[in-house]
Amino acid sequence: MTETRPDGGTAIAEVPVPSPPPPSGLAGWLTTFDHKVVGRLFVVTSLLFLLLGSAAGAVLGAERIDSGLQVLNEVTFFQVYTLHGEVAVLLFLVPLFLGLATYLVPLQVGAATIAFPRGSATAYWAYVVSGLTLLGAYAADGGIGGDSTVGTDLYLLSLAMLALATSLALVSILTTAVALRAPGMTMVRTPLFTWSMLVGGGLTLLATPVLIARLIELYILNHFGGDLAEVDALGQISWFWSLPQVYVLAVPAMGVALEVVPVLSRARLRRHVSGIAVIGFSGILGFGAWAQVESTFDDLLYVLAGLVAVLPPLALLGLLGDSVRRGSFVRKAPFLLALGAAVHLFLGALSGGISVIPGLELGDTAWSAAQVHFSLYGGATLAGLAALWYWAPKLWGVHLSDGAGTAVFVLSFWGVLLMAGSDLVSGLSDQPLMATDFAGFDLATVLNGASVAGGLVSVLGLLLAVASALGAAAGRGTRALADPWEANTLEWATTSPPPPNNFDSPVLAVASAAPLADDREGPRASETEESTS
Amino acid sequence: MTAPTTIAGNLPALPPAPRAGRRRVILVGTFFVIAAGTVLIGALLAGYFSARDLVQVAGEPWPPEEVRLPNVPLFMGYLTLLMSSFTAQWSVSAIKAHDRRTMYVAMGLTLLLGLAFVNALSFSWSQLGVAAESSRFATTMFAVTVTHLLIVIAAHIGFLVMGFRALGGQFSPDNHEFVVSAAAFWHFSVAAGLVIWYCIWFLEGGP
Repeated sequence: MTETRPDGGTAIAEVPVPSPPPPSGLAGWLTTFDHKVVGRLFVVTSLLFLLLGSAAGAVLGAERIDSGLQVLNEVTFFQVYTLHGEVAVLLFLVPLFLGLATYLVPLQVGAATIAFPRGSATAYWAYVVSGLTLLGAYAADGGIGGDSTVGTDLYLLSLAMLALATSLALVSILTTAVALRAPGMTMVRTPLFTWSMLVGGGLTLLATPVLIARLIELYILNHFGGDLAEVDALGQISWFWSLPQVYVLAVPAMGVALEVVPVLSRARLRRHVSGIAVIGFSGILGFGAWAQVESTFDDLLYVLAGLVAVLPPLALLGLLGDSVRRGSFVRKAPFLLALGAAVHLFLGALSGGISVIPGLELGDTAWSAAQVHFSLYGGATLAGLAALWYWAPKLWGVHLSDGAGTAVFVLSFWGVLLMAGSDLVSGLSDQPLMATDFAGFDLATVLNGASVAGGLVSVLGLLLAVASALGAAAGRGTRALADPWEANTLEWATTSPPPPNNFDSPVLAVASAAPLADDREGPRASETEESTS
Repeated sequence: MTAPTTIAGNLPALPPAPRAGRRRVILVGTFFVIAAGTVLIGALLAGYFSARDLVQVAGEPWPPEEVRLPNVPLFMGYLTLLMSSFTAQWSVSAIKAHDRRTMYVAMGLTLLLGLAFVNALSFSWSQLGVAAESSRFATTMFAVTVTHLLIVIAAHIGFLVMGFRALGGQFSPDNHEFVVSAAAFWHFSVAAGLVIWYCIWFLEGGP
């Protein structure tokens, strides 16, 4: 390209300087600040950790087949039990949604990048390092109940670092959702997955420091020779994935279901704001940083919150059912997985609501394990898989196999139902949480066998899902169009996968919550009313 | 220039794109960090008071009788920290007035006052003469004050980065969001310090 000086002087030739190609492979991963690469890394790494969590769950299941300990001893059983929970929540579920959000939130709000790309990349690597450190701590006989002081120090530090990494990633996501929205995209018009990350992520950002505070105290106590058993160390950590905080962790699952089901039903929500309200209500009810000790079972607020928490998942089912009824749904894997997640979320909230009824005393029984499994395993994990099947075209540019997705749905949905359903009955029979000795429980062998069988079936589904996702990450699958689902939100207005700056050209004003649907079908009166109100 | 992406924009009924507002990305991010930090300090103090209740219900003194609080250095330390809040805001005012020389002075003073607080706190710890594992008071007190110290150090890092960027010619009356954000985090670290001084040092020993 040349340009001529205004004074008619000599033309100056601008020699284009070729930019060096970005490094590939490990060097590319280590040096990237592209939110899409970081998001993909989060997703794939979380799936690899899921394999470990599943293995730990299988070992625990093996111990439940017969009374007494066969594979582990008392200390290692306790360690594997806590490892299972920590890997499932802190190394798999939370990072999976962090990865999805890191990738999708900038696209959904029409931004060229995430707010703090370096922050997101730092969060990812901190997550990897602290995850591996956590495993190393267990290998060194650390963890709650471990004999090694140094190993337990390492365990507490790695958990605190994980919490910090989670917070850092969330700050980047939340800032993007608040400050980088496209012109015209008010909060009420925010896509529901982004909104769910704003609510669930915001409340997690406020709950995580409480976990860090507890970890700091436990670290000082342990490092200087105190006894963790005196301060109920497990209770000070495990509240993060117990009632009611479990509902906050499941909030993004609602966002996924409310994105996927209406699109694949070919019927938008009657009012977008109803989805916003359901997600917001669920988040508020689930904020559990104040409920860290068992004495909260005597707390009226705790009981009321547990009972009312049934309403948002019920409303979610109502909204999704209304879309399915009005539209002509496409029975694709993400549709099935998202609906299955909504059903499990409701069952989790229902069992949680029953567990807080005074007098039933279900808090320390297998019932509470069932409630967590319904909410996090059946609800949030199935929703995470629905998200992978739905957004795979954006993430990797290919479709995941629909047949494999349907098989994942069948195995995971029914597997979790069998596992958690059996545990509910065991809980009613007063089988304690973490029990290994079943003498005295008449139905124990049958119920625990059914629970283990359900768990194994669901793990098969997860393995199939991980294999499918890793295959897509390696580039295997049918190439996807820019908008294969005829969806509503901005991420589908760009290529699959998106270009380096997400959109080839600036995003115009957004005039409703479903701008792409408006392009196809014309704006709806109700959306216009909502946006003006 | 390339054509805009066709998103709800090629329909005549849709409004034109409104002018993009000021983004304030760093400031919004800082707000989230401060919110999380506030919860962190609150949670640590809740742990401190919870432990105090347990100990006092058991009929034991809080803090243990052998603990002698060095009230004067503690008071002076936190007073110094409070003063640094004014100099931090002075740096914001200076860059708004496009007075870079004053901004450098204000930043330098802020960092110096912050370091003086770190020195006073370390001295006070040594004067306390308690080991972290010696009592629940010591464990929870160190948990709160060490975490606060880390927050103060993070605020220092923010100001140092700001200083280097200012020396590199960045910031102007129209572009000082980073300065405002760094100052906001500094104010947070000061406010947290004052709350900690009141809850731990003042309530237990008096100034």
